[in-house]
Amino acid sequence: MTATNGQTTLSIRDLHVSVEDAEILRGVTLDIPAGEVHALMGPNGSGKSTLANALMGHPAYDVTAGQVHFKGQDVLELETDERARLGMFLAFQYPAEIPGVRVASFLRLALNARRETEISVMAFRRLLMEKMQMLRMDPKFASRYLNEGFSGGEKKRNEILQLAVLEPELAILDETDSGLDIDALRIVADGVNRLRGSDLGVLVITHYQRLLNYIEPDRVHVLIDGRVVESGGKELAERLEAEGYERYGAAAASEDA
Amino acid sequence: MTSTTRDLITDLSTSHGEPGWLRERRAAAWHVYETTPAPTWSDEEWRRTDTSWVDWDGAAPAANGADPARLALPMEVSSASVLLRQRGSMVEVLYTSPEARDADVTVVSLAAAAGSDGSMVADRLGTDLAPPSAGKLQAMNAALWSGGAFVRVPEGAKLTAPIVIVIDAADQPIFPRTLVSTGAGSSADVLEWWRSSQAATPGFANGCVELFVGAGSKLSYTHVQAWGSHTGSFLTQYASVARDAELATTNVTLGGRFHKGAIAATLTGPGANVRLNGMAYLDGEQFADHHTLQDHRTTDAASDLLYVNVLDGSARSVYAGTIMVQPHAQRSNAYQQNRNLMLQRGPRADSIPRLEIMADDVRCTHGSTTSTIDPMHLYYLGSRGLGLDQARSLIVDGTFEPVLDRIPDATVRSAVRTAVRAKLHGTAAA
Repeated sequence: MTATNGQTTLSIRDLHVSVEDAEILRGVTLDIPAGEVHALMGPNGSGKSTLANALMGHPAYDVTAGQVHFKGQDVLELETDERARLGMFLAFQYPAEIPGVRVASFLRLALNARRETEISVMAFRRLLMEKMQMLRMDPKFASRYLNEGFSGGEKKRNEILQLAVLEPELAILDETDSGLDIDALRIVADGVNRLRGSDLGVLVITHYQRLLNYIEPDRVHVLIDGRVVESGGKELAERLEAEGYERYGAAAASEDA
Repeated sequence: MTSTTRDLITDLSTSHGEPGWLRERRAAAWHVYETTPAPTWSDEEWRRTDTSWVDWDGAAPAANGADPARLALPMEVSSASVLLRQRGSMVEVLYTSPEARDADVTVVSLAAAAGSDGSMVADRLGTDLAPPSAGKLQAMNAALWSGGAFVRVPEGAKLTAPIVIVIDAADQPIFPRTLVSTGAGSSADVLEWWRSSQAATPGFANGCVELFVGAGSKLSYTHVQAWGSHTGSFLTQYASVARDAELATTNVTLGGRFHKGAIAATLTGPGANVRLNGMAYLDGEQFADHHTLQDHRTTDAASDLLYVNVLDGSARSVYAGTIMVQPHAQRSNAYQQNRNLMLQRGPRADSIPRLEIMADDVRCTHGSTTSTIDPMHLYYLGSRGLGLDQARSLIVDGTFEPVLDRIPDATVRSAVRTAVRAKLHGTAAA
């Protein structure tokens, strides 16, 4: 299905993360080999978004124990922008609205931050239009202010556009399916599927199995109360859809209700 | 002392060959200046603005012979339709495009215009819009202005390139004065740029701008204040906007230690449409105060104001704006917005909106926001590979963008953008 080179892109060992002194992640261990798509599923409050933000270096999330290595480097020592330049990418659940900053000029700056030599304005324009066409976005989008006044679906599509332009080696999709109607979901999933390949590792964080009908995972992990309690193939997602999270304990089940 | 100043004003006017009416006006303005008390804290308009540093008794005509530093022009000469430069009190027209010549546009020193194009200048200069009676500063300028710029865009003339007025000052006090008049159905962009080098910056500047926007004409007037950092600067900028005319003013405040702008637009005919835009980027100990007035004196007219301040260091800004709708001015549509962005904890911004609505069928709204940079914005931009400095400067750019967006002429917009970025990145011209 996907070509994997077997090399581990992201390696998380016994990660503990606190937010305002409350421990949310209590020892997460997870490996994502290059080229594989992993799904992280779990009820609300299980720590899914905390993991995403801790990996990206959100200032409010304190890593109290554990290690994270990306491409062999200890990323916990790095600032958010350094992690991004190393090839990590987070598609946000709630992307920030930045008034006055146009999508195109922002993305060119971001792409140049990733590159050794600046891309020419013309070449960037071509690249952007090509990726926007792939995501069936109106070209007018490029000159709009970043996420300002965007609908929920437009914001998510804009996140995937950034993913497509920046071509990271690890993409974390944090609840990218929430707030999307079925057509938008298909387009977004299509976009991700086209980017799948030997280099890109993907961590799909989702509450529901729905997105996984379109982005087929190589592995599925279940996160409950800050720990990965079970891992398996894509059939695990189907079972969760049918049975819910109840079997993992009452606390999780009640939060999901 | 003061009577000798009056004699000096009269003597200078005579030696410059100014017509009698102008000489008399200067003398009368000086009388108003002398008899008008200096503004104090107890005046509402000056409540937040310290003028104790102004040497009111030492006011005198600008000395000749001041030689400003040679600064690079803000744009290619040929991208202007006319480029007029004032150095100290000396005015020269550096360039006139074939388009401007064919359109019979007048851009000359105000002193020359008072002599040759007498009646229009006499009718308008300091009469309705900014007469000496408007206040002590306006009276001071009316008595002491030198050089000056006069712009007349004839009926129906449409210029595609901007008229550029550059005022270069040395360390002497300077009193710029500009009079712009657009004829019916004409269209023009005017850019006025006040500059001095850091090394030789005027201690005091007091300028006055009068804009007469004729019926059905379109005027975009952009003003950049880029004095060196020791200047105390006053700007009075009053406009009257006739039936179906469109005016956009944009005030860009970058330089000086102290800046006070009094900006007003009077809408006199139905269909008048006014945009008042402003942006200030202040750092260090800079202080800038903008008082604005949207004065609706007619039915069926619209005004829209956007003033944006970005403050760093321990800078301070005051924005105070009034929307006034006269009793008969029904179906007025007026909007006013002030946004302030603090780049750190040190600065302070005061925002005082005021509505004086005396008609009942109107739509008037105002809003004001003061914020710091949202750490989540920095995180988001960081997650795309932008470092802290890059992210901050992108956010500042973005904060000014809506104002830049409202400058219709691309050449003017790009010159302003370059000046703001230069200051932001600490590479301000000389």
